[in-house]
Amino acid sequence: MFVLPPPPKYPAGVNGNGPIIETHNTIEHPKGPEFQFTAGEGTYVLRDDLLLATPPPHPSETPAVNTNPLHTTIAAPSAGTKISLAVIAPRRSEQQRYRSETPTSTTSTSSSNDGQEKQSSRDSGADSFPRVTNGSGDGDHSHAPVFGRSNAALNVVNGKEPKDPSKRRKPKNNIVKSNSSFVSRVIPHEGLTKRLQEHSPDGMFAFANINRALQWLDLSSPTKVENLTKILFTKAHALCHDVNEITKSSTHIDLIMGFSTGDIIWYEPMSQKYARLNKNAAINATAVSEVKWMPNSENLFLASFHDGSLVVFDKEKEDAPFVLDETATPDVPTNGHSMSTIQIRKSVQSRTQKTNPVAYWKVSHQKINAFAFSPNGRHLAIASEEGSLRIMNLHKEQLLDQFNSYYGGLVCVCWSPDGRYILTGGQDDLVSIWSLADSALVARCQGHHSWVTSVAFDPWRCDDRNYRFGSVGEDCKLLLWDFSVGMLHRPRAASVRQRASIVSSLPGMRNRAESSVTMLRSTSNLSRRSLEEGDIVHAVEPRARTAILPPVMAKIIDEHPLCWLGFEEDCIITSCKEGHLRMWDRPKEGAGAEDAVPSTSGSNV
Amino acid sequence: MASFFGRLKGANNPAGTSAGSTPAKKDPNAPQPTPLEKLLIDAGPIRTDGSDKFFGFENFGSTCYCNSIVQCLYYSAPFREQVINFPVRSPHESLKRKSAAISSNEDTTTQLTSPVKSKNPFATSLTQSSSPRTKQVPATTTASTAGQPKQEENKESPEYKKKVALATGPVLAMNYENSNAYGMDGSLFSSLKDIFEAVIANESRIGVVSPTKLLEILKRDNEMFRTPMHQDAHEFLNLLLNQIVENVEQYSKENEASSAIKGASNSLVKALSPVIPSSILAPPTGSLVQNSRWVHELFEGTLTSETRCLTCENISQRDEAFLDLSVDLDHHSSVTSCLRRFSEEEMLCERNKFHCDKCGGLQEAEKRMKVKRLPRILALHLKRFKYTEDMQRLAKLFHRVVYPFYLRLFNTTDEAEDPDRLYELYAVVVHIGGGPYHGHYVSIIKTQDRGWLLFDDEMVEPVDKRFVLNFFGEGVNENGHPKNLACAYVLFYQETTFEAMERELASEGVSAMPEAQKDPIFNQPKANGVAVPNGVHQANFPTTPMSEEVEGFASLDRETTTPLPPPPTAPGPFHNPLEPIQTSPTIPFLKRKKSFAKKEQERHEKEERERRKAEEKEQERQIKELEKAAKIKKKEMDAIRKENQKRQEEELAARYKAAGKPSSNASSSQAGDDSSYTSIGTGTTGNRGSGLGMAGGLGIHEDTHMQTLNHAQTPPPQQTLQPPPTSHPNPNQNGFSSSSMGTTPNGVKDSGSMLHRFRNTSMSLRQKPKFWGKDRERKGKNSGDHSDLSREGFLNNSSHDSQSPSETTESSTNATTPSAGYGSPELSGMKNITGPSTTSVLPPITAPVPLAPTSTPVFDKVFSKGHGDKPVKKESRFGLGRKKSVNLL
Repeated sequence: MFVLPPPPKYPAGVNGNGPIIETHNTIEHPKGPEFQFTAGEGTYVLRDDLLLATPPPHPSETPAVNTNPLHTTIAAPSAGTKISLAVIAPRRSEQQRYRSETPTSTTSTSSSNDGQEKQSSRDSGADSFPRVTNGSGDGDHSHAPVFGRSNAALNVVNGKEPKDPSKRRKPKNNIVKSNSSFVSRVIPHEGLTKRLQEHSPDGMFAFANINRALQWLDLSSPTKVENLTKILFTKAHALCHDVNEITKSSTHIDLIMGFSTGDIIWYEPMSQKYARLNKNAAINATAVSEVKWMPNSENLFLASFHDGSLVVFDKEKEDAPFVLDETATPDVPTNGHSMSTIQIRKSVQSRTQKTNPVAYWKVSHQKINAFAFSPNGRHLAIASEEGSLRIMNLHKEQLLDQFNSYYGGLVCVCWSPDGRYILTGGQDDLVSIWSLADSALVARCQGHHSWVTSVAFDPWRCDDRNYRFGSVGEDCKLLLWDFSVGMLHRPRAASVRQRASIVSSLPGMRNRAESSVTMLRSTSNLSRRSLEEGDIVHAVEPRARTAILPPVMAKIIDEHPLCWLGFEEDCIITSCKEGHLRMWDRPKEGAGAEDAVPSTSGSNV
Repeated sequence: MASFFGRLKGANNPAGTSAGSTPAKKDPNAPQPTPLEKLLIDAGPIRTDGSDKFFGFENFGSTCYCNSIVQCLYYSAPFREQVINFPVRSPHESLKRKSAAISSNEDTTTQLTSPVKSKNPFATSLTQSSSPRTKQVPATTTASTAGQPKQEENKESPEYKKKVALATGPVLAMNYENSNAYGMDGSLFSSLKDIFEAVIANESRIGVVSPTKLLEILKRDNEMFRTPMHQDAHEFLNLLLNQIVENVEQYSKENEASSAIKGASNSLVKALSPVIPSSILAPPTGSLVQNSRWVHELFEGTLTSETRCLTCENISQRDEAFLDLSVDLDHHSSVTSCLRRFSEEEMLCERNKFHCDKCGGLQEAEKRMKVKRLPRILALHLKRFKYTEDMQRLAKLFHRVVYPFYLRLFNTTDEAEDPDRLYELYAVVVHIGGGPYHGHYVSIIKTQDRGWLLFDDEMVEPVDKRFVLNFFGEGVNENGHPKNLACAYVLFYQETTFEAMERELASEGVSAMPEAQKDPIFNQPKANGVAVPNGVHQANFPTTPMSEEVEGFASLDRETTTPLPPPPTAPGPFHNPLEPIQTSPTIPFLKRKKSFAKKEQERHEKEERERRKAEEKEQERQIKELEKAAKIKKKEMDAIRKENQKRQEEELAARYKAAGKPSSNASSSQAGDDSSYTSIGTGTTGNRGSGLGMAGGLGIHEDTHMQTLNHAQTPPPQQTLQPPPTSHPNPNQNGFSSSSMGTTPNGVKDSGSMLHRFRNTSMSLRQKPKFWGKDRERKGKNSGDHSDLSREGFLNNSSHDSQSPSETTESSTNATTPSAGYGSPELSGMKNITGPSTTSVLPPITAPVPLAPTSTPVFDKVFSKGHGDKPVKKESRFGLGRKKSVNLL
């Protein structure tokens, strides 16, 4: 008989024992085959592995270590590290990218089809191509639609403000001196002003959340490991954030953050000023899942909430608890069915626009996980926990399409650079490609071994026919995909309709695409369309009828589930739940890789 | 409502008294309604289908594997329905039974105050059975006094809640058999049916089931479940389903035969007296025959294994049925990908070569398995217990495996019918613990209209839907320690439709809205804003969708648009959301929505706030009143209880002295266990070594330990008033029983080998030749006869922890040691039961095979050999054993 070893203790969570002290970010440059991956164009190599320091819990909030693994208290919603990037200088490359719209890639066959198709797609977004990024430098975006322009009530408020357009309005409160219980501590870098002066306009700023902290980083600086500023919030976690592309300058960046508590903070890092919106959950009491500036708007931004609401805020307006106004459509009890329309609790056309919210839409019964604006700023794609992808006409506040995942919730969504396709990733382990014009599922991309958490197009490797996109997931993998309009390999039982949606050049199909476009513009058609629910809500495509796309590259690139992916001109950036921010250098120029895939950059200037 | 108050008045008293029994700990708010009671407070009339019954299951020491699985099965509506309806009887018969069931339940409820009625043959053992449980009391009492003199009773601790649940009752002592009424022999099925019927027939919505009979039969028929060791819940599920199949088929076969005879005689009767309606005379035979395959219809799917011989390119297909799927796990994967991997192509080479019928020899081959027929209920077993060669035993995998609420299968064959079938997750069995040999099982189950509930033995608690996703597994930290010991182990998906899914998601969203606002998380940071008292009731609000709220969608939906979010103390389920006065301050507001006068608004807000406060006060007052009433009762009970306790303790002390056993042994096996809750406190650290010295004493397994702790601290009064419905034998039977158990010191079966043997059994059950059932039945009867003597012994041993410490020690450390237990006497009985699948063929080494067949080719070989005596299926067994152990064919 012998004495047994003591039973393993329940681990006291990740936090371990004893107080954890504030630590600094660390950076590593691991080398080796596991830190690179190869696609057709060459090998991507890990440049930096920046580990953001997880802040210790706030002293006032001693983490009640509940040793019962079954404790039923639900933790506050949290998110892995997401990143918002800001490059002050206008991006040349993106302009190139759009110019590449002119047929350059003669390598691919079936050019006539493509030409037609391009025309039809141009119909849909002709005047929208000069998009946000295009006008970011000179402020020339008058012909791009701006949300809420048509409402005089909104314009009045806006019109008062910009006396001196070069001088941006800053938020009211100083975040460093703030005695708000919301902000715990602000730690600016001691050489902040010097570092800002040294920062080149082409350099990349990044804002990254980790736990209850938000860090402002200079990714182009040699001392990128040291944050420019770190803000520690008391309890709330920043779940999402976004940089306003049109107001950014060397002296001004508008950052908007959404929190687990429902609060939203408008933060200007250069002056360390901030303002808090949806304070005390005045407008919506659930957590903010995604926040983004409205296309081409200086003041308006859209926030999605865990209760399925989308709310447009004006960063400069006070919150006011709002009552349903007269312009709102009456709430239609949907009797337990999924919402096939958007409940407009407050329309952007409402005349009472003195306070926030500017508009309030109830879109889903379940949490909205992500949304994305189309490049032309007209459409909004909304991915929700119930597994539906909704396409909404932003200006008409109308639901155009509702698709459904194969199963499970949709986690992330993005648009192709030309606005023709929408990507979603979700709990069915699939990346799905949807066509806006055809209102149909184009293909399902199979390759992840767990839920897909982020999808993004690589605009530097997209042209009018070939699309490169990437996805990351809970399986710690980065997958790269090449999708070209003609090359989809379809299952045997592919239906005619499906075929049509893939090669949308059949005459009938083109008509359909065009008609849908005209519908977007004429109100009469719109109302007709909204009546036909069957036209809006699309049934789940059976597997046997759907094209399957395999990845061109799949690689485990982190030990932790990944949660964010971004393509930049010189690198791919990924981040994981534990705060690893990894930058992967693109294949070196001149390695012959550029020729492998028709690339737009360089050949076309 | 009535039932709730009734319980508060009557039944809740024991709770109060038990809470107060710890000296100097008179808790004023002891009889607060539990979250579950709150959830059910406005429930309407009880439905007859049993879908709104929420009973916990008593744990008799490591029987959580059984509790968790039975709960999962109960809440599968079609399964429950079939169990209830299976032996179709004439209306007359079922009426009779119904009333009998009800009366028996009345008995059990009245047992709270009056001694048990001896209404069944086990009544005598029942009166006896109370003693072993009480016997445990001094053991743990001393332990607790030795460790921590006065353990603070944590109201939130599951132990406490379980104790209260047990004390509150009603406790359904499922120690009787109605099997004769069904015309069946006592079997797992009949006892399961007894439980289901008793739960449904009971007037209360909540309570505790003591599944004594079920465990008794389980242990009688299955040797591996006789030890009080930690059992595998999946193995139990497997066995249970197979036994049910067998019981049901046997019954219908018998009935067919007998009804054929009867039919003949009936025709005679009919001819003689055509006046009598035939329904009275003849049992409905036709439907019986049709019915007997319902388990298959629910759980069974078909796998097609395609094997392509690499030598002759011949493709052989073979269909195999499964009742559940066991999938291998990867780091950071999803259930979807595990299922995909399950169907990945697999090379059969080297030792695993495939016997090709065409070439006539062992050849290399490629094999893949796909689902050809999809089951209606998909039971997915995540193979978290894997054999590790370096440690020479099974270890638990803590891999993060995500599971979505909805699922479709990718790995279907082309010709599969409805390959895009949508499944919804309806139950999760969670294993909590560091390894396969110890731990605890609970289940989290979606109920028809009460959202998700956590079933932890006696305790039933409503949980948030998000809670279901807490058990992905979180891997291990840098030191190799698991970050979270609780991981999903068996997932139950049931078929559903897209429309049903939409409906449900919509209704969830509706009820989630106010819930989110109630959530403390959202309120705490707002301390500087609207006054948000962190009141008493805030934490306990049920978070599950309720049917009433679905109907009240419109009004609730508007609620969010109102100026003030309802404070967290806003009346939850206490109020019907449809009644504007109670729930929604918002409604008068909405009516006035055209008025935009600000002052008016503000005034309203103020009024609203005031009214809400008043409402809160009113609520609190009501609750206090209830408490007061309960307290008075409590005092009354206190006296009785104290007396009882004293008497009990004296009695037990005397017994212990007589038996010459140290009383502090409760902790002995605790040391070996990874108990599920550190908060157990008393015995965990202080007394670890103390039990090692005793000879043949009781090693109490973790679950029991918990239970005994509870009883030790506060023996609920009904323990003496109402002998608990266990079959714990008298302590003085102990010596006899442990010897009859036949587990010699080295006869400890490590769970692996047992699993393996069991696996064989269960597999052979489906493969059994026609004659076999009868054979088995005969033998079963025989063994039943001669085991009558020892049966109590088994039970004794297993159900109540009289395992010697040495056994426990060995079992948890030396688990894979080859044991001589196979030769033990009653194993031959086991062999009889299991039939010609010859457990004796198995060399002892096979221990871990069934759980981790992939890991070692050696084992594969053994495994396939185990089936080797069945040449028919040889090749398919082969494949199965190797990687994709479809558990049960």
